[in-house]
Amino acid sequence: MNLEDEIAGKLCEKFPFMTDKIYVQKEKRIFTKPLSRDEFEKTIRYVHDELGFYRACHVVGTDDGDSIGLLYILSNKDSILLILRESVPKTNTEVTSISDIYPSIVLHERELVDLFGVMVKGLPDGPRYPLPDGWPDGNYPMRKEWNPKNFNKETMTYQQPQETEAQKNG
Amino acid sequence: MKILEMLLKAFIFPGFLFLSVYAFVAEFLDRKMYARMQNRVGPPWYQPIADFFKMIGKKTIIPADANPVIFRLMPFVSLAAVAASFLYVPVFGSKAAFSFNGDLVIVLYFLAIPPLSSFLAGWYSRDVYATIGATRILTQMFVYEVPLFISVLAPALLAGTWSITGMMAYYSVHPLYALINIPAMIVALISFQCKLERAPFDTPEAETEIVSGALVEYSGRFLAFFKMSLDCELVLVISLFSAIFLPFTTGIAGLDFLLYIVKTLATLLCLTLLRVSMARLKIVDIVSFCWKRLTPVALAQVVLNLLIRGVL
Amino acid sequence: MVESDNFGDNRIAVPIGPQHPSLDEPGCFDITLEGEKVVDAVIGVGYNHRGLEKVCESKTYIQDLYIIERVCGICSHAHSTAFCMGIEELSGLTIPPRAAYIRVIVAELERLHSHLLWLGVACHEIGFDTMFMFTWRNREKVLDILAVLGGNRVNYGVNTIGGVRRDLDETLTSQILKTMEMLEEEIKYYVELAHTESTLISRLAGVGKLSKEDVIHYGAVGPVARAAGIEDDIRVKEPYGAYKEIPVHMITDTNADVYGRTVVRILEMQESINIIRYCLKNIPDGAISVKAPRKIPAGEVIIRVEAPRGEDIHFIRSNGTDIPDRVRVRAPTEANWHGMKHMLEGGYLADVPITIAAIDPCYSCTDRAIQLRSEKDTRVLDWKELRQYGINFYKKQGIDISTLSAGR
Repeated sequence: MNLEDEIAGKLCEKFPFMTDKIYVQKEKRIFTKPLSRDEFEKTIRYVHDELGFYRACHVVGTDDGDSIGLLYILSNKDSILLILRESVPKTNTEVTSISDIYPSIVLHERELVDLFGVMVKGLPDGPRYPLPDGWPDGNYPMRKEWNPKNFNKETMTYQQPQETEAQKNG
Repeated sequence: MKILEMLLKAFIFPGFLFLSVYAFVAEFLDRKMYARMQNRVGPPWYQPIADFFKMIGKKTIIPADANPVIFRLMPFVSLAAVAASFLYVPVFGSKAAFSFNGDLVIVLYFLAIPPLSSFLAGWYSRDVYATIGATRILTQMFVYEVPLFISVLAPALLAGTWSITGMMAYYSVHPLYALINIPAMIVALISFQCKLERAPFDTPEAETEIVSGALVEYSGRFLAFFKMSLDCELVLVISLFSAIFLPFTTGIAGLDFLLYIVKTLATLLCLTLLRVSMARLKIVDIVSFCWKRLTPVALAQVVLNLLIRGVL
Repeated sequence: MVESDNFGDNRIAVPIGPQHPSLDEPGCFDITLEGEKVVDAVIGVGYNHRGLEKVCESKTYIQDLYIIERVCGICSHAHSTAFCMGIEELSGLTIPPRAAYIRVIVAELERLHSHLLWLGVACHEIGFDTMFMFTWRNREKVLDILAVLGGNRVNYGVNTIGGVRRDLDETLTSQILKTMEMLEEEIKYYVELAHTESTLISRLAGVGKLSKEDVIHYGAVGPVARAAGIEDDIRVKEPYGAYKEIPVHMITDTNADVYGRTVVRILEMQESINIIRYCLKNIPDGAISVKAPRKIPAGEVIIRVEAPRGEDIHFIRSNGTDIPDRVRVRAPTEANWHGMKHMLEGGYLADVPITIAAIDPCYSCTDRAIQLRSEKDTRVLDWKELRQYGINFYKKQGIDISTLSAGR
């Protein structure tokens, strides 16, 4: 448990807001509670430059109801995983890409754009991933409210179930 | 009667019919040996013939942008060149169907036509993969033609004649002189493998890189004839090789024919062994290999033969 | 986007994919060539997007196990092991030691057959069909064992939540040991081949270079990283299951190119044989599974296992019911794609297939649009128009295929 506590200690020292947000879940897993945009920006640069977390394994998107949760999973040479959490409201999903310091996160950030509708600014040019080009706008499959049964594959359109309800009632 | 005899020789034996039959047999043996060496079963004896007739029956799609004349003409040009040059190689007995002083050079020039027709076919197919394959064919041709020509002309220099029949006659009188040509034999074997575009020199037809190279747009009967011309080229190469470098004859015509079959099949075995045991080389490696290793050996052989000829 | 046209300045754009003999699954690599050298590469990939994660959110955990196993055909056991480990951790289960050992044996067998498959495919990419036939013949022996053990040659459903479903008996153990002996001889031959066969070395050495700094920069994992000298193997760095008791040697190499990756994979096969033998000698007796609860307590867990292709990460979030809240699978190949552009540029066209094959890619993509350019006009066709173009072409020949569904 030593190395993990050491890292947590260094982060708390550098950033006072971390003291009640960081927790060591178990061996080789350090989690944080949701950080604000600003806090996240500062932390990610610090852990990349000073703490030796050189690899961004992944960024997981989760649908938490009114907001989209983002979990950035970073790894260092001792294979310790640091998970930085961020939460953006569904009404304003703007985040900045970290692909300038971690090029290996590009595909996963594109996935957030396509599947969750998160607006990631600063991604390099390239084809979208993983949805096809003809995919209709506004359809974010991984959001909980998107039901695959309402999607018509022939016409590539999403039919809201409320319309049929209204037809039944009125 | 002379004309009838000439026609029989040109079209039946040892002409076009014999060439086609032997081409299918050679392809079958090549594929069977290749498969057995890889611990597989391999195709049955009628596979090449079945492939040929199946392809003739298939639909031919010609790309809209391709040149219609050249696209259709190239398989037959290639086949005609090979069939014509086969008539100058001794098959039955120690005399070829037709021979004259200089037919060795004619055969070598005709042998340059199949790769050239593949190049033209690929170039006028207007396809990305075909263009790359065609360019590779020409690049390869520039590098193997030199050692090939030199290594084949070295025994001719020693024999003092430019006719294949004449060479066979000379070496059957002085059989031991054939041993002097062993370096040229090795260079020629490798250069012929290069000409036939078989592994390790099959980069113009690299299936995993450029799909099928120059012939990628071919299908149906044109592809069938192109493949047949490649098989006939194989037979021509092994016959030429055994006539020049394994010129042992007994004088009895029938026995010579059997000896011809044995020699050509032995050559085929060597070519298949080369194909089985190596990976495909890159075009830059082929270029440097041909210039740095094959050509110097061939040149040395020519010098040696000239010296020995001067002594004799 | 696929363009097949000549640029004015001696450059030619070659599409490798989505349909190409060198790719097992569709993927789009648009290579721009100048002569034979690659000057630009655009990579378009996406996994064969079957919407697995969305499906997982509407099925129970035990149903999801079958879905997760089918994320990939060749690393199926790694994925199902990770998923089971995640659920076992969330519900506080400890699986019996015999089950842990059986999981390791199947994982190492999977590593063996995956590396043999890779070796064959790599040799086929460089035109060495003989090696392709030999390695795949050996692979059949491994698949025979897996078929007896699990019931299927790939996607062998050996794992369950709480342990394993099938046990080893005397005949199977002796069959495994005999096969290991035979494979050991064959792998010695492959090692010798990798060190002495000059055509092989000339095709593999110096190709697809990804130096140590580049691997760190682009975040590559698995044999790609180990070939550059980086010590990255989850079985050693963060041992899980029975790997906590089994000695595993990490194989690294200093040639940071395709040749290094070949050597690493061949030596890893040798190491797998040693691990299997150790397991079979020391496997404890006992039960092979414990009963798992239907409802999994709420929580989050991140599990890492070492799949044949590298580090495989699973994220599971549960909410106290028997249906998961979020399941996320990060396959190892997703980490390896980012260095591909760097590896392809500066090489030759002949090196493109082997470079792509050397990271051992494990998924497919759906291509989107094709741009046709002729002298007269430029048109962009999207999927619907392309399909209609094909239907019209064949209607002219008298064949009607429009009745076939356009669904994906």
